[in-house]
Amino acid sequence: MQLAAPERGLAARRRIAAAACALIAAAVPTAAHSQEATGSWTLDTSILLYGEQDRTEIFEPVARISRLFSNGHRLSGQFAYDAITGASPTGALPSGQLQTTTTPSGNTVTIAAGAVPTNEFQDQRFALDGEWEAPLARTLKSTLGAHYSSETDYMSLGGSASASYEIMDRLTTLTAGMGYNADKVSPIGGTRTGLSDGTVAVQGLDNPKNVTSGMLGVSHILSRRWLVGLSGTLQAEDGYLTDPYKVVSLVDSTTLEVSGQLTEKRPDKRQRASLLFSSVYHLNEDVFYFSLRGYSDDWNVRSGTLDLRLRHELANGKYLQPHVRYYSQSQADFYVPGLIAGQALPAYASADYRIGPLRTGTLGLTYGFHVKGMPGTVSLRAEYLRQWLATPGGEGEGEGGGGDDDRAAGGGEVRAGPVTTATIDPASIQSNMPPLNIGSFLIGYTVNF
Amino acid sequence: MTPPTLERGEDFWVGRFAAMGGPCEVLLDLDDRDEALALVACAQDEALRIEHKFSRYRADNIIDRINRAGGEPVEVDAETARLLDYAALCHEMSAGRFDITSGVLRRVWTFDGGARVPDEAALRDVLALVGWERVTWRTPVLTMPPGMEIDLGGIGKEYAVDSAAALLARRTSSALVVNFGGDLYATGPRRGGRPWAIGVDDPERTGQGVLDRVDLTRGGLATSGDARRFVTWQGRRLGHILDPRTGWPIEGAPRAVTVIASTCLEAGTLSTLASLQGPGAAEFLRDSGVEFRIH
Repeated sequence: MQLAAPERGLAARRRIAAAACALIAAAVPTAAHSQEATGSWTLDTSILLYGEQDRTEIFEPVARISRLFSNGHRLSGQFAYDAITGASPTGALPSGQLQTTTTPSGNTVTIAAGAVPTNEFQDQRFALDGEWEAPLARTLKSTLGAHYSSETDYMSLGGSASASYEIMDRLTTLTAGMGYNADKVSPIGGTRTGLSDGTVAVQGLDNPKNVTSGMLGVSHILSRRWLVGLSGTLQAEDGYLTDPYKVVSLVDSTTLEVSGQLTEKRPDKRQRASLLFSSVYHLNEDVFYFSLRGYSDDWNVRSGTLDLRLRHELANGKYLQPHVRYYSQSQADFYVPGLIAGQALPAYASADYRIGPLRTGTLGLTYGFHVKGMPGTVSLRAEYLRQWLATPGGEGEGEGGGGDDDRAAGGGEVRAGPVTTATIDPASIQSNMPPLNIGSFLIGYTVNF
Repeated sequence: MTPPTLERGEDFWVGRFAAMGGPCEVLLDLDDRDEALALVACAQDEALRIEHKFSRYRADNIIDRINRAGGEPVEVDAETARLLDYAALCHEMSAGRFDITSGVLRRVWTFDGGARVPDEAALRDVLALVGWERVTWRTPVLTMPPGMEIDLGGIGKEYAVDSAAALLARRTSSALVVNFGGDLYATGPRRGGRPWAIGVDDPERTGQGVLDRVDLTRGGLATSGDARRFVTWQGRRLGHILDPRTGWPIEGAPRAVTVIASTCLEAGTLSTLASLQGPGAAEFLRDSGVEFRIH
């Protein structure tokens, strides 16, 4: 609070007169071009480059355009394209012998001894999203959304609806929403029976996968510096949840060599729940963002995410925003690095690192600035991610991707550990691999017109 | 958009239309009807342009975008930036009394002549959202804590008057007056060197009585104060001008403060700053050397 006395007298008046005069002098050219931006359109574009060390590479341009109408309605549409190339681990263990595996295109490839078996793949994905925001009353707003995306072997169609209501002199906002997705998985080369040798594939099958979700949230303005929010999401998945290209290695109980492989198999239902706490705190000029997320599902995957960002204002509208994130998850009940040949098969098994004991650390930095003579803001973001698998019961490092962590796209090398007894517990097969390094770079441009 | 109406005064044209929440008039000291109509339409376009762009009641403009940014930075266009610069100057010069973030106080205050004042907790909660000093304004990017709102209503109308008058003055050499809801600007003397005669409305009986008359040749004139908007509390009559530092009405402000200055914006700013001085309004204006009327 400023306690100073107000300026007064002739000098003060002259200051106001000069400022008012300058403002009006500048206004006339503006008025003469009255078509000038009322600012009801916003265009948001970005290009993302994502690369995992020796693995998947993604090129993703995204364009989002939204228009605000005078009655308060907002329509927005987003188009995204992904070109994905590279290699993704199949889940098979590296072996001392040559090993064979099938690819998404139905061919057979042979992998050199000792390497992590991966599928070479190339895919394109198109996604369209639309959203309609409608103010129903001064403190009540509804949002309807639709989603469609398509890639070679996957199609997704969904819709969502939510409403938010402001109470307590608009200091508190309550939000409730629900969504439904009807997806289809159509594996290239056919749908193979789970936990089989994969030789029998049913062709032309569109395996349904349905996702129903519900969300409740509350956000509250604690002070003029501090906004906090808490939201909970429940999600039920039903249908084909198995990854059609992942396999589980069979390990010989005496030689410890990989002796074969089976297709993976997951349950056909999954119940997910997550709770997100977020906070935006305004320092004098900078803004500090904090979020903490807890997640749990009935496959017994539990995870936590800590995300910190600080937007630091520089001169002339430039800013720097460092970003730190840490993600940790426990493995699914049926996650196994490999199975022992000859032992009874479990009901479900997957060696997919994304539902393994995954950790991901992220360091990032965003720089935003304006280009002289050009409207809008340009931002450049670089991030470094490191992913690794925590070995059960120890600090040994493995590697993988995340069952709950959408960011995980990489794969993991898995090696059969030292096992000496004849009765081998599958859990004793060790994941013991170097961490995976990932880099991403994003260039974005936002403009109102 | 309703087309403006045009009426012949004794020897001038009066164009009328509605904008900025009230009646608007353009007085034109010329005879050609078509020219008069075109000029009035031009003034109407400018009034509506500024209204659409800066009204806090619309959901498709820069003010709404800023107010709904939820703490995210918003880049504004050059015209908005100039107005924010001006508002920032007024905030600084008034030591926090003039504050474009104070509009949220209207959520808890209702000046309907009744006896209702907000309870302490509600006022404290809303007051937490007031304070331009909490806003990071670095041209052209504004970053405002979540929940805060800005409202350029305190300067927008005066700005529109000056802008429309400047626009018309580029299109005609005839003298004219732009009057948007009582805030006005005259571009020069009428034919024969006569001034424009401006009546100062009785704020308690709008349209029915004139308190005063100002002869204006060139310059801006603005009045602040609205005696019909008040609450009665503990036997005291509290006007609608709020002190953003306390969240309470300024006590002892005059019913109406009229200022005559070189632009309408300057006149409006000085009359607002004077009203914020409460009983010290007249002294404040006397010190500044400006021409004024207080009622």
